[in-house]
Amino acid sequence: MVVLRSSPFGNANRTRVLIALSLLTQSYARELSRLIETPLSGIQGALRTLERDGLVVGRMVGRTRVFEINPRYFARQELEQFLVRLREEEPELRSAVEGVRRRPRRTGKPL
Amino acid sequence: MKRREPTLRAVALEVGQALKEAGIQAVLTGGACASIHSRGAYSSIDLDFVLSGRVTQVSLDRAMASIRFHRHRDRYVREDLPYFVEFPPGPLAVGGDTNLAPVVLRSGSRSLRLLSPTDACRDRLAAFYHWSDRQSLAVAVAIALRHRVLWKRIRSWSTAGGAGARFEEFHAEVKRARSEQRP
Repeated sequence: MVVLRSSPFGNANRTRVLIALSLLTQSYARELSRLIETPLSGIQGALRTLERDGLVVGRMVGRTRVFEINPRYFARQELEQFLVRLREEEPELRSAVEGVRRRPRRTGKPL
Repeated sequence: MKRREPTLRAVALEVGQALKEAGIQAVLTGGACASIHSRGAYSSIDLDFVLSGRVTQVSLDRAMASIRFHRHRDRYVREDLPYFVEFPPGPLAVGGDTNLAPVVLRSGSRSLRLLSPTDACRDRLAAFYHWSDRQSLAVAVAIALRHRVLWKRIRSWSTAGGAGARFEEFHAEVKRARSEQRP
């Protein structure tokens, strides 16, 4: 059996969504889909089951559903530590996340 | 004449009793629990019960069917009620603290296990601390005004979670609300 990527959270999408959220703090399905290079439907499915399992939470910000690792999850600290270790093995994902601009930019200033 | 709708408290008691009779251990948490402890200062339509022990879907369906709730996707609903019942994944915890002691609410022959006022307060405060949710702060204040909560426990838990300043805000809100209550 050839295992291309470790997926301790059930499948590769769930695992990589968690790793991406641990790097970004917050994100939304379309952004995650772009970063993880996986179809939107796969990311939405992963978010749905992670939410059902209590690992992530989502809330509406405007018209976008923004997700984060559940800060009230009973093993949040241990989960974060595990994800920090897992993301060491995901250089491509780390690199993709580093390309995401999060700092503010004055309205009207050219990109 | 229109029949009066059962209160959230009455429905929670009915569900709690049905689960108990089915041998299912369940504790009411979340907004419904906060609503009961705040005596209606906050209203909720979803009842979140955290289960412990091994519970099969069949036994849960059967227990809920005994009080006319049926499963619709991931929740249980009853046509004549606005409330729905969910069973979020356990364990029973407030943040990383799983050392909780639920209390029992009794009414007639029915009983319901639910978070203590102190833990319900902490549960709401967690939302205030993490998301600056002022509604949760208001509910936590309402609970603290109506019950003797364990202040030391709330303070140490808040401080350990890096929310010492937010706890002081909560404490000040309770004091302010108490002073407004006095004649």
